Amino acid sequence: MSLDKTLKKLSVRSPWLFRINAGSCNGCDVELATTACIPRYDVERFGCRYCGSPRHADVVLITGPLTTRVRDRVLRVWHEIPEPKVTVAVGICPISGGVFREGYSIEGPIARYLPVDVNVPGCPPRPQAILEGVVLARSIWLKKLGLEE
Amino acid sequence: MAGFLKVLFRNVLEGPSTDPFPLGETFTPDRLRGRARINPELCMGCGICRHACTAGAINITPLSDGSGYTIAIWQNSCCLCASCRHYCPTGAMSISNDWHGAHPEKEKFSRLEQHTIKYEPCAACGVLMRPVPAALARRLYSATPELDPEQIRHLCPQCRRQEDAKRNAGTIQVTTTETLAARELTSAAPTTY
Repeated sequence: MSLDKTLKKLSVRSPWLFRINAGSCNGCDVELATTACIPRYDVERFGCRYCGSPRHADVVLITGPLTTRVRDRVLRVWHEIPEPKVTVAVGICPISGGVFREGYSIEGPIARYLPVDVNVPGCPPRPQAILEGVVLARSIWLKKLGLEE
Repeated sequence: MAGFLKVLFRNVLEGPSTDPFPLGETFTPDRLRGRARINPELCMGCGICRHACTAGAINITPLSDGSGYTIAIWQNSCCLCASCRHYCPTGAMSISNDWHGAHPEKEKFSRLEQHTIKYEPCAACGVLMRPVPAALARRLYSATPELDPEQIRHLCPQCRRQEDAKRNAGTIQVTTTETLAARELTSAAPTTY
């Protein structure tokens, strides 16, 4: 292993999270807030924290079934996130459409428009399941950076 | 000013309130709604779960040779409402407290609770049918101890009706004194759909 790679591995950046609400009912967003803000779950142990700008983000958490009204905004914001990024679909809505599937205003599931890396099913998923998904997303992100096999 | 000392001592004594998960164990309530499970012993394939499923996550497909059916729940569409468990007449549906769901994209469509259930021939006429689950048959025939639930549950609905008619033939009350014509004794031809 080269010295450069060893140094990079030792000083790996923290994966910052960004949250996109693609027409969610807010249930999953509440669980995401719980995961980040409550000391019991404390996602910041893994260096993850929510950032306000998509340009600072590494891991993007998408909730909601992607409604027609927000589709173009979601795509615009998603494309502003720099590569390498990891997309996590939180809840059954972005994964399959869930209870809203085939609705007149639903453009999802989100995999029609964006490459998804990790799915966290649940309606909503409990905070531990979201933590599991974030940890999985972190390992995928490290693989994309070439720091983990 | 010394208020922080109280907090400090409490933290020293009780430790952090952070759940160690995913580095350690976490708590799971017994009644937490997680993955839905099907008991293939009890499932009759009636389809009420598919009808009641809010998210359309349940699919029942008959096998192409008519020898059974496949029932599947897609976990990535299940909204954990437990309507299937509530409406299942045989109690085949259950909701486990397994909430571990995070998976990479390539496993998306393999997260199924799927069972292929084969029909069995009727004990009397041999037509393919699904036997009534033993527990349900015992409950159904508890009022008639002269019937053996283990035997009757292997009969198809048609044969069960015939057995019932044979058994009750002697108890039918005939109110007329005249002899009935032969055509009045036989019932109308069944409607075919």
